[in-house]
Amino acid sequence: MSAVWAAARAAIRRRKLQTFVIGLVVLLCTTTTVVSLALLDATSAPFDRAFAEQRGAHAVAVYDPAVVTGTRLAAAKSGVESAAGPFGQVVLDPENDPGPLLRGQITVVGRADPGGEVDRLDLWRGRWPSAPGEIVLNETRMDDPIGLQITDDMKTVQAGGVTLTVVGWAYSLSATADAWVTPEQMTALRPTGTQMLYRFSGDVSTREAIEQRLAGVTAGLPGQALLAARPYQVIKEEMAESAGVYLALLGAFGVLGLLVAVIIVGNVVSGAVVSGFRHIGVLKSVGFTPRQVVAVYLTMVTVPAMVGAVTGTALGSLAAQPLVADTFRDLGLGQDAGVRIWVLAAGLIGVPGLVLLAALLPATRAHRLSAAEAISAGSSPRRGRGLRIQRALSGTRLPRSVSLGLGLPFARPARTALTMASLLLGVTTVTFATGLSESILRVAALSAEAGGNVGVVSRPPGLGEGTQRTPAEVEAMLRAIPGTAQVGVAARKDVVILGHSEPVEFGFVRGDVAAMGYERQLLEGRWLSGPGEVVAPVQLLNARGLKVGDTLTADLDGARLSLTVVGAMYEGLPGPSDGLIAAWRDLDGLSKDDFYYMVQLRDGADMEGYLAAVRAADPGLDAWDNTGDDELTVIVTGSSALFAVLLAAVAALGVLNTVALNVQDRRRDLGMLKSIGMTPRQVIAMLVTSMAALGVLGGLIGIPVGMAAHRIVVPAAADAVKLTLPDYVLRVWEPGTLALMVLSGVLIAVLGALLPARSAARLTIARVLHNE
Amino acid sequence: MTTETVVRLDGVRKEYGGTAALDGVSLEIRRGEAVAVMGPSGCGKSTLLNMIAGLDRPSAGEVTVHGERLDLMNETRLALFRRHHLGMIFQFFNLLDDLSALDNVALAAQLTGSSAATARRRALELFDELGIAGRRDVYPAALSGGERQRVAVARALMNRPALLLADEPTGALDSKAGEQVMDLLIDLNQIGQTLLIVTHDERLAHRCASRLVELADGRIARESALDRV
Ligand SMILES: Nc1ncnc2c1ncn2[C@@H]1O[C@H](COP(=O)(O)OP(=O)(O)O)[C@@H](O)[C@H]1O
Ligand SMILES: [Mg+2]
Repeated sequence: MSAVWAAARAAIRRRKLQTFVIGLVVLLCTTTTVVSLALLDATSAPFDRAFAEQRGAHAVAVYDPAVVTGTRLAAAKSGVESAAGPFGQVVLDPENDPGPLLRGQITVVGRADPGGEVDRLDLWRGRWPSAPGEIVLNETRMDDPIGLQITDDMKTVQAGGVTLTVVGWAYSLSATADAWVTPEQMTALRPTGTQMLYRFSGDVSTREAIEQRLAGVTAGLPGQALLAARPYQVIKEEMAESAGVYLALLGAFGVLGLLVAVIIVGNVVSGAVVSGFRHIGVLKSVGFTPRQVVAVYLTMVTVPAMVGAVTGTALGSLAAQPLVADTFRDLGLGQDAGVRIWVLAAGLIGVPGLVLLAALLPATRAHRLSAAEAISAGSSPRRGRGLRIQRALSGTRLPRSVSLGLGLPFARPARTALTMASLLLGVTTVTFATGLSESILRVAALSAEAGGNVGVVSRPPGLGEGTQRTPAEVEAMLRAIPGTAQVGVAARKDVVILGHSEPVEFGFVRGDVAAMGYERQLLEGRWLSGPGEVVAPVQLLNARGLKVGDTLTADLDGARLSLTVVGAMYEGLPGPSDGLIAAWRDLDGLSKDDFYYMVQLRDGADMEGYLAAVRAADPGLDAWDNTGDDELTVIVTGSSALFAVLLAAVAALGVLNTVALNVQDRRRDLGMLKSIGMTPRQVIAMLVTSMAALGVLGGLIGIPVGMAAHRIVVPAAADAVKLTLPDYVLRVWEPGTLALMVLSGVLIAVLGALLPARSAARLTIARVLHNE
Repeated sequence: MTTETVVRLDGVRKEYGGTAALDGVSLEIRRGEAVAVMGPSGCGKSTLLNMIAGLDRPSAGEVTVHGERLDLMNETRLALFRRHHLGMIFQFFNLLDDLSALDNVALAAQLTGSSAATARRRALELFDELGIAGRRDVYPAALSGGERQRVAVARALMNRPALLLADEPTGALDSKAGEQVMDLLIDLNQIGQTLLIVTHDERLAHRCASRLVELADGRIARESALDRV
């Protein structure tokens, strides 16, 4: 064994560059893998994960305390794995304005502590109520200064004749209450319901399953005991809707990162073994057994790989930590979630395992090779296409160093194929990543752009005097303020549709609404062109069983109106309405609070100044910055950029590796070329040309592949969360970007080739010329 | 016969990691001379050749070839200098495996900017002169050792060098092939080619060279004029 170790150590020392490249590639790939897996893990089932951590309630049931006692409820346990309760519950209507986070009626539950077997609350600020008169509010974690400011400003809730002091903030993923008080306080508030929280054993995958479990629990109880029950799927679906598409797209990145990491590690490692065939021959001729030779090679590769894997795992978990935590927080999943152990294990054990496997395949080939074959592996006569190409090239008008360089890839087809693979992957990845982050940006922009960057409404009642202007006057006034680019107006009204039990919310729009991003949101059909038409968010169409082309009959101010659905939208209008959108008409019975004005500012206009100008022009108007940079978007674009850079770097390292190997086993040729007068510049030109040619090819093949992947993956990811994306989000390619992508292939190749090419140019090759 | 100096070494010293491979070597070679360098293995013969070819730099001393100070040139100037004024042949030929014999030779002219056609024409002339015209399209792997060395000589002569350097040119050849290469070198010298040959082979030295330089431990141990046999 010591001979093996000695030989491996010598080989590592002699091939510093290669060892370094293996280490670095493994490092980058491990980082990518860990980040990918952490994201995949976090995004594939973020709700389930947070739900499990909080031991969320499969069902939240409310019983009538007049019909059934708490003791009986606590005893009804058939099919229940664990339960919490009975807790008193009451609905309060705050008399004061407790602050922006509480709206309308709130459900308050009496609980002695935030822990327990079910619904373990995340008490993220303050403390749990310990005496009557104290209350804790349910809200997702807000660590940012603005969030903390908001919570600071919410001091009391006055309701039911008592004043409750806010002493803390907790988060219940299961949304079991809006606020909690002590059980004693609850008794004083005279509860109208008794809450039970259940976690069931057995199948809980569907609403029906939950209903069945619940039926099992209530079987022994009086008939009217159960007032209401809510399965956890209700919450889960709400969550999925808000962040689904981002999660799906991030997940796509994770898969890609994993794939690329696997292929490139395999590529570089097997390249190292293949290039060592000569060395293998020498070892064998010295008397190493085939098994020992394989051991030497595995050791040679494993040492740098281990170093790379450990460092990469550390870096990866550092990089993934904030991404994962932010993702969770932004999803309203509260508790900070770290990178999980299995992800770290995959980096520490999985990646080196992969490296071993990648090395094992060619190493076993070396195992079978006879010493003589192995020694001559590098210098056996070549024949066929490679030579014909060289001959054709040597007759061209190209500078000889360039034509020699163009011929180099054909001299070692197997190695060239490996390099091609890493270049192709690099370009495909850069293309895909660019497209993906552009799509994500556009998804975000769709919402941001639609509705303009300034929202304006009449001052709401209770916050001062509303505007005295008519909507037409407000619109004219807004248009006159410097900095305004576009103005849209929407009037909100509930409209009765014949055949539908509930009225539908309408937004009647005029002004520049179509041009303010709404037209881009079209998934199907077209934008409004006349008064008899409506467009609608696709969710609304689905919920109401409608489709583009359908005709509705509306009852509007007593008149029957026939409306045709001409378009499906990605989203609804901001502010007033998630409902149908129709062309403006003058309607009866609207108050000034029913109008919403959206303004798109000119590029570079000063937001603060503009808002002040609006308020100054009409103190009855409330204007605010509607840009709201979406933190999740930042995360997603940030991580997609990170992936693109990492993977491009890995591809460049693959090239660097190939060129370094080429230089290594063409030392003699290089020496000879120098001895007959090839200048250092020509040496660099030759080696860089050889790779740039592959880079161009990689670009030309990799780009369509990347584009196709984007075209398939992005809609599929959206589809997974039952979303359809408008064309605008998918058609992200422009000639300029594509040209840049081709360049990226060349750039990756050239950057990878430059370093070893330069060292080859400087190499003193005097010695190899005279000996060997 | 002209006495113009082609090579002048002045106190040349070359160290590798502290030990001197060459130590205070001064040497002059005049145009048309054929100088043989001999000495035991490791005494610094190849190192001396590298100094003269500008393949490596002296640690101290001056190297003047064809009137130019090689020790003061940068890599690029050295390459251009070699391209135009030097030809080298080696024990192990150093041909490119994936170029035909003819293209290997043409390469030397193509590097100077000659067109492929011009370079091949000149290479063909040399193939004719060296008696290997029939092997022009063969790849190095299929050539015999002697043929390979003649291809290498052709390549070295492509740009009509002022000086031809040969490091053990027959060292890897059997005696018959060795003879042929030896004859070739003598012929070349006879038509005026200045030659520096490093060799182990006393017979080769005596047949080809007009002067013998003996190296030992990096120093010139003896210089003597030879009567060619
Ligand atoms: N590039 C080099 N690095 C280190 N030592 C070298 C190098 N080239 C030559 N030497 C050493 O210099 C001495 C002379 O070598 P060389 O000129 O090749 O001898 P030879 O007379 O056999 O051609 C030897 O001891 C050799 O090991
Ligand atoms: Mg030697």
